[in-house]
Amino acid sequence: MLGLFKRAAPLIDACELGRTAVALPMRAGCAVPPGCPIVIVDAGGGTRRPGAVKRFEARDGDLAWVFHPGPYSVDILPFAQAPELGLRTTFAIEADPAAVHQRFDLYLASEASGRLDLAALAASLQDTLQRELAQGGLELPPCATIEEWNAFRQGLNQLLYMRFGLTVDDCVPVDLGATRDYAAMLAARAAQQAASTAALAPHAATAAAGGAAASSSAASASAFAPAPAYASALAGAALGRAAASARENGAEPTLADARALRRLFLELPCLMCGLRMAALPNCPELFRQQQALLQRLDVLSVGAGAMPSLNLAAPGQPLPMDEQLRRARHSQRAAASLDEAWALLARMKREPEALARHRLAALYDDAERIVANLEADCDGRRRARRNDDKDGKEAEA
Amino acid sequence: MSAAPQAAACRSVLPDGSLLTVSATRRPRAGRAEVKCSAPDHAVLAARMQEVVRLARHTEARFDSRDQVVVSLDRAPPPGARDWELAVVLADRMVRGLWAPHGPVIANGWSDAWQLGRVDGHAADRAGLPPDVLPHLLLGGAGELAHLGMLSGHPDPGAAVSAARAWFPLHSGGAADALCWVEVSLHPLAPGEAGHADEEQTIAVPGQDAARQAAVRQALAGARHFDGRGQGRWRTTVRFGAPQFQGRSFELALVLADRIARGREFVPRGRLIATGCSQAWHTGQVDTVDGLAPKCALLLREAAPGDRILLPQAWRSGLPEGFGDQLRIVGASLACVERIGVI
Repeated sequence: MLGLFKRAAPLIDACELGRTAVALPMRAGCAVPPGCPIVIVDAGGGTRRPGAVKRFEARDGDLAWVFHPGPYSVDILPFAQAPELGLRTTFAIEADPAAVHQRFDLYLASEASGRLDLAALAASLQDTLQRELAQGGLELPPCATIEEWNAFRQGLNQLLYMRFGLTVDDCVPVDLGATRDYAAMLAARAAQQAASTAALAPHAATAAAGGAAASSSAASASAFAPAPAYASALAGAALGRAAASARENGAEPTLADARALRRLFLELPCLMCGLRMAALPNCPELFRQQQALLQRLDVLSVGAGAMPSLNLAAPGQPLPMDEQLRRARHSQRAAASLDEAWALLARMKREPEALARHRLAALYDDAERIVANLEADCDGRRRARRNDDKDGKEAEA
Repeated sequence: MSAAPQAAACRSVLPDGSLLTVSATRRPRAGRAEVKCSAPDHAVLAARMQEVVRLARHTEARFDSRDQVVVSLDRAPPPGARDWELAVVLADRMVRGLWAPHGPVIANGWSDAWQLGRVDGHAADRAGLPPDVLPHLLLGGAGELAHLGMLSGHPDPGAAVSAARAWFPLHSGGAADALCWVEVSLHPLAPGEAGHADEEQTIAVPGQDAARQAAVRQALAGARHFDGRGQGRWRTTVRFGAPQFQGRSFELALVLADRIARGREFVPRGRLIATGCSQAWHTGQVDTVDGLAPKCALLLREAAPGDRILLPQAWRSGLPEGFGDQLRIVGASLACVERIGVI
């Protein structure tokens, strides 16, 4: 009658938890696998862990995940150009069932949609690491000395903790040559390119002939071989195709945009909180700078909660497809800036307490850059037309 | 970004042999578009310039929206010419401090895929150009600058041929000291194709004398033996930036460029600059070379942010006072190595 004695429904795919799946969505009334904490995300995006329960009961509007604390082991590539060299990384997730404000909970709330696979998580780890290495936040140079390796390890620990809430237990370089053959990958790439040029050959031949005819009449200097004219027709066709395909599965940019906006909405307040605590300014100028940054982030955060709908230029006025795609690009770039901001917080945390003033100033300069990028992209996302016409006005001024 | 210049210029040769100057300036953005382009009396050309710059910026890791870059041409190239594209891209990078060449640059090249960083070709021909242009000339396309990442020696992650560059210091008694690059390009061999062929037979060194060819082949074959997985998989072409030089100090740079091209080494953020040789590459050991003082002075002059500098272990005790710190201030990192290999 009250359902007190009803048998709890088993969780679907529960056996995969801790192997190929890191977190699974929960339905109300499911039995909780032993040793796996639950994360509940309420309608406003707040997260909580209900403590050790046997059976999960949901309130209205709640989403819930159950995750396995690990440990997990994945191979990630620190450099896209070096596919035979990986880092075997073992990590775990904080499993305290009553912990509050865990970064991993925020990650689930803002980025997971449905089931979180280990492969997907590893791909985002790899992406984060590659970007941080390319930007110079972490250094892993050739013939790294043991001190450089240790510094890299500390940075990696802090980065993955800040960005995903993962605790890295172990990380060693491994030779992936046994499973990945770079030579075979390159050969496959060459075959693919040959196939695509063969498909394009009729076009190219006519274009080249036209270009040659035009340039032999125009350029009399023998020193110059003709460059094919910029294939605007081809590019136009490609753009048209892209737009058409985007329209066909119209959900795709819409979905990506919605995800990016959800991230902005949920993560900006947490980033502000992190910035307040991460690096305490050590002189009045930096204090003022920090206050100004926090204020700008506050404005951004309010703006992210009040973004116009993707497909409307104004209430009741539809927006053309290419402008919608531009808006979706802006929101995705803003979400990428969020990643940079988390990486920056990790760098601030990593630095010792008594930071030299110029080091801290450099970190704050980077924070300004990221906030400026966020502002530019949020502005682009809000705009109904692209920001080119302003230049005309400004030229007259 | 405070170290970046406010203005930069890059030139390009036009079909009639005259020079086109691309100038780029940087100013606070103040809510304007991130790139503004102008060409004399040519709105279509300006639009294409803006497109090229925006596409090429997709290959950069770090974006700063606080600045507006204004790119302008001093004269209109003839209709249909596209060789100015590379110069525009490079000027945009120079003004933001992402690339700092020594001396003036004359760049010619075009691409249909700037967003991938690929440079497809060039129209100018070395043979037909005036001799005063040649020392500064940078051409795009296969066999020259095929990828924007190649400016710092990185392989193109999308190409079917893996090519990497490393630099080594050449010293010739002072004024003419310079860095010279060595490039290793690898084509995959089909599994059966290598068969019984000797590893050294698959390595070609065009444009160098027989002694240098033998040295290159021996060093590469030895280092690949040390690596364990390098043999019988590649057809290799090695090229040098300078046609003639003496000595064996290029070997460490060569071996590391090979490792990076084979996808088995960490990739430096900037250039890899190395000097060193070895009697026994098959053990991975690095031996000392001559010219510590002039080479260190040269390295200090040439080092740029992100560069990785590798010297033989035997040099560690003899390095000038504060050498490592000075490099660190520039943004480069230094290591004295005893052996190659990861960690």
